Amino acid sequence: MKGLGLAGKLVVFAAIVVLLILLGYAVFGNKVFPKPSPLIGREASDFTLELFNGDKLRLSDLRGKVVLLNFWASWCMPCREEAPTLEASWKRYKDKPVVFIGIDVWDDKDSALAYINQFGGGYLNGIDPKGEIAVDYGVGGVPETYFIDASGKIVNKYTGPLTDEMVDQLLGKVLLSSPLNGLTKEGG
Amino acid sequence: MVIKVHIERIFYIIALAVFIFVLLIPKSIADDIDKEAREISYLLMCPVCEGQTVAESNSQLANQMRAIIREKLQEGKSKDEIIAYFVSRYGETILGAPPAKGVNWLLWTLPAIALLIGGGIIGLFLYKSKEEGEKAQEESQKPPTQSELEYVERLDRELKEFES
Repeated sequence: MKGLGLAGKLVVFAAIVVLLILLGYAVFGNKVFPKPSPLIGREASDFTLELFNGDKLRLSDLRGKVVLLNFWASWCMPCREEAPTLEASWKRYKDKPVVFIGIDVWDDKDSALAYINQFGGGYLNGIDPKGEIAVDYGVGGVPETYFIDASGKIVNKYTGPLTDEMVDQLLGKVLLSSPLNGLTKEGG
Repeated sequence: MVIKVHIERIFYIIALAVFIFVLLIPKSIADDIDKEAREISYLLMCPVCEGQTVAESNSQLANQMRAIIREKLQEGKSKDEIIAYFVSRYGETILGAPPAKGVNWLLWTLPAIALLIGGGIIGLFLYKSKEEGEKAQEESQKPPTQSELEYVERLDRELKEFES
């Protein structure tokens, strides 16, 4: 830098600073964790889930009810952490037009059944052996929970273990905004 | 009679060729699907891995994603449609290379801009150094001025006095 005058040095320094700021913004500036799901506000993809009790469940059959769709795995510690919360929440909401569905992913059936027995297994639970439902919902880890309103639209997604307060808050919002019309069906 | 034998032979040869062709078609289609599936899986990042593409990862999700890519190709979906499907599920962060739009264009253009600015600075620095070097050389090649000559003479005189 011997050849440059003070003004030249300042210009070089300013250019480097500006470039570093721009690069930093481009790389880190728009990183929000967890990333909001692009599925929010869109219609929930229909699926047929093979339940652990041998029945089959089609999501579109639940139209008119609010659905809490929870993706989990038996080896996942945060899932174990939230499992008692989900069971307790299901008991609080089972007389309301709300259906709790658990979808076991990246897991083996025996471990999943042991997990369900351990944590109650009150609500509907099934396995997604090929991961098709998980990919269709953009699942990138467990636990992840989607809140689907009575019209079948995804209104929220929560990444990580839910607490009682969060369930009440998020389900409360969906229930308030949902046009409920399927009150004849049993919830969960 | 000879003509009939020839026709029969030609018929068998054609039938054999058709048979081999029919046998090879599914393999060729499967090879094409495998190749395209691999190509697509290199363009997508594994959502549960750090810095690995779907092709590189051994995670269960990446395995399932590869199977889904193959399935969609078999259904006749194009590469763009399959990539658009994954983007619609996971967002643009699933793409190995961010599309050059919005703030992402900075990622594409900044290296070139940095290279230009850096090159410019180095060029300017070299030019200035050369200019200064030439100036110094010119200075050294000039005949000494009267005051310089007097100074040298005085220095010599004083040194001799000191040594004696």
